[in-house]
Amino acid sequence: MNEAYTNNLLMIDLSRKTHEIIATSESFIADFIGGKGFGAKLLYDGVSPGTNPLGEDNLLMFLTGPLTGTMAPAMRGCVVTKSPLTGIFLDSYFGGSLAAEIKYAGYDGIIIKGCSEKPSYIWIRDRHVEIRDARSLWGVDTLLANRLIKNELNDQTIKIATIGQAGENKILFSLICCEYNRQAGRGGAGAVMGSKNLKAIAIKGNRLVRVHDPANFKAACREAAQELEKSPDVAALRLAGTASAVEFANEAGLLPHKNYQYGTFAKASKIADKGQSKHLWLGSNACMGCPIRCSKIGAVRTGIYKGIVTDIIEYESAALMGSNLDIHDIRAVAHLVKLCDLYGMDSMSTGTVIGFAMEACEKGLIKSPDGINLRFGSIQGAEYLIHAIANLRSGLGQILSKGVKQAADHIGYKAADIALHTKGLESPAWGPRGVSGMALALMTADRGGCHQRGFTVSYELSGAWNNHPLDPLSPEGKAQMVAELQNYSAGTDTLVKCDFGSFGISKETYARLLNAACGTQYSPDIFQNTGERIWNLVRMFNLRQGMDPAEDTLPRRFVEEPLTDGPGKGHRISKKDMAYMKQEYYKTRGWDENGVPLDKTLKQLRIDYVKSD
Amino acid sequence: MDLFGGYNPSLSRLTVVSQKENLYHFPIVCNQCENAYCLNVCPAGAITRDTSGIVVIHKDKCIACGLCIEYCPIRVVVRDPETGKAFKCELCRGTPLCVEACPTGALELVSKHTPKGKIDE
Repeated sequence: MNEAYTNNLLMIDLSRKTHEIIATSESFIADFIGGKGFGAKLLYDGVSPGTNPLGEDNLLMFLTGPLTGTMAPAMRGCVVTKSPLTGIFLDSYFGGSLAAEIKYAGYDGIIIKGCSEKPSYIWIRDRHVEIRDARSLWGVDTLLANRLIKNELNDQTIKIATIGQAGENKILFSLICCEYNRQAGRGGAGAVMGSKNLKAIAIKGNRLVRVHDPANFKAACREAAQELEKSPDVAALRLAGTASAVEFANEAGLLPHKNYQYGTFAKASKIADKGQSKHLWLGSNACMGCPIRCSKIGAVRTGIYKGIVTDIIEYESAALMGSNLDIHDIRAVAHLVKLCDLYGMDSMSTGTVIGFAMEACEKGLIKSPDGINLRFGSIQGAEYLIHAIANLRSGLGQILSKGVKQAADHIGYKAADIALHTKGLESPAWGPRGVSGMALALMTADRGGCHQRGFTVSYELSGAWNNHPLDPLSPEGKAQMVAELQNYSAGTDTLVKCDFGSFGISKETYARLLNAACGTQYSPDIFQNTGERIWNLVRMFNLRQGMDPAEDTLPRRFVEEPLTDGPGKGHRISKKDMAYMKQEYYKTRGWDENGVPLDKTLKQLRIDYVKSD
Repeated sequence: MDLFGGYNPSLSRLTVVSQKENLYHFPIVCNQCENAYCLNVCPAGAITRDTSGIVVIHKDKCIACGLCIEYCPIRVVVRDPETGKAFKCELCRGTPLCVEACPTGALELVSKHTPKGKIDE
């Protein structure tokens, strides 16, 4: 049993400078599988109510799944912690090959607690675990830190997770760079790492990851690869990555323009795959073992930003740092995103924060700093703010470093009306006016304003889900779809799957991969069931941490201001529609009308131990 | 997988070296060098060239000294983590497993004619 696991978690206490290996139990594995499931349970058990996310009691975890490090295509790893941006559960996923290296070193996950006295980094080589001095690395950017550590340890094949200056300065939306061009991006995991005085984790492993039934496992991998080949979504990603979504979103009227005041952008093609392939791309890259290779690596060759290597500007970054700021020069967008990557700052939240600041300036709520033009379309203004935020330079940089929710509170007056977030996490680049299911998904996502926990847009625009006809504009019949998508995503995030892999790989094949790897006999329903368990446990965690269910809501702009352009023109998600969808969703989930899971729901899911807390 | 019974790319018989933030990737396979340093430095006579030109390590004779690993110019001789003995690409007796496993067709086994007219694989 459990061959594909190492059955060990590495717990490192930075305050005491100690580490220990914790064996995983059979029931922990059976109930939570790995990845997000492990993270949800460990966070619930280990982080008590009121824990300061930037204090030494918060846990920062890097988790793998049973299929991580095998030949199963399109697998990733995840970071789980209590978010300093939202104050609730955070899971943030990263591709590349770091997660596999954790397995090769002999661990299903790394749990970090405490806080180092002085800047440090952790060096893990199989059973060798060392806390090393990082004072000379403090203040350098993510890529330089990566290079310096590889040189210091004299091995270029080490895998490294590192923060930049943003994480050191505890910018609430700073990220963890998981080399290269892969990030645990959302929710401020980088600030948690910075608060622990932890610059980086360097890992090298020599252990083998084995599977229970190699022949059957290889056959399942072949099947997964064939399913990926058959998927038109995968074919589109292979050709143009997520950049192809820019024109799709623009045609659907879902592309944020000028801080989501509009849903279309006349110059969309310049920041889409068309503009990117012309000005940036040189070749395709893949995460370890992934046949999709959605990543398009390249460089800015000409113009004032020339000389930088850049990966594809993913849809979210292209939209939030491009159309959302009314910037259409893709080389400038690449420059701005690269600055965020080097500082180690989420380019999605940063784009939304800058859009907020630009609109606030245009509305007279704040003033442009001297010599800076903070209007929409100003590349100079956007660049100024990135530097100001990451380095906590100027009062404005400090205010914006807390994210739009806190910045709006600080600025006061009508600033909250133009702050786009749910539960403090800045909204993703899928404006939901015109697709009400997406609105419900954003309202109820476990980590706040996130599009990845249940992405309904493609079903709603195609007019059907599971053979049920759907009207994208109506609030009816959305709850079941959203809940099932959330459960399935949470369930497969235990493996830890990449969302793009799940565009092709069926639940039957995921189950076959899992069973062949672990010697289990699960039916494909395991993902829906385990996902529901995780979703409810995370809900209980969030409620216990003080989340108000009234926060299951949308930013005011999506509720009060009808879209002025695109196919969804004239539409908004009214308070009445929100209330209707929310109640239908709570009921579907077995929660009471206040959004609290019922005792019987928790009991059915075998997590009734959480109710008495 | 088929050689050690598990997964870990650092133990594979070919490597991919990436440079400049992953802008470039170079697949590196054993060249079966005509003047093979691994063969030259082996103190145990454990490395020989077979009739088809492949440089082969005889596991029974290998004393796990690591000299071949140290002197391979492209670092494709690797140490078995369990036995400490050296191993390298020997083209799997003519049907390389890497070629078989490659999902995209990026790897293939080709024959080339050297200037001397003999055939290398």
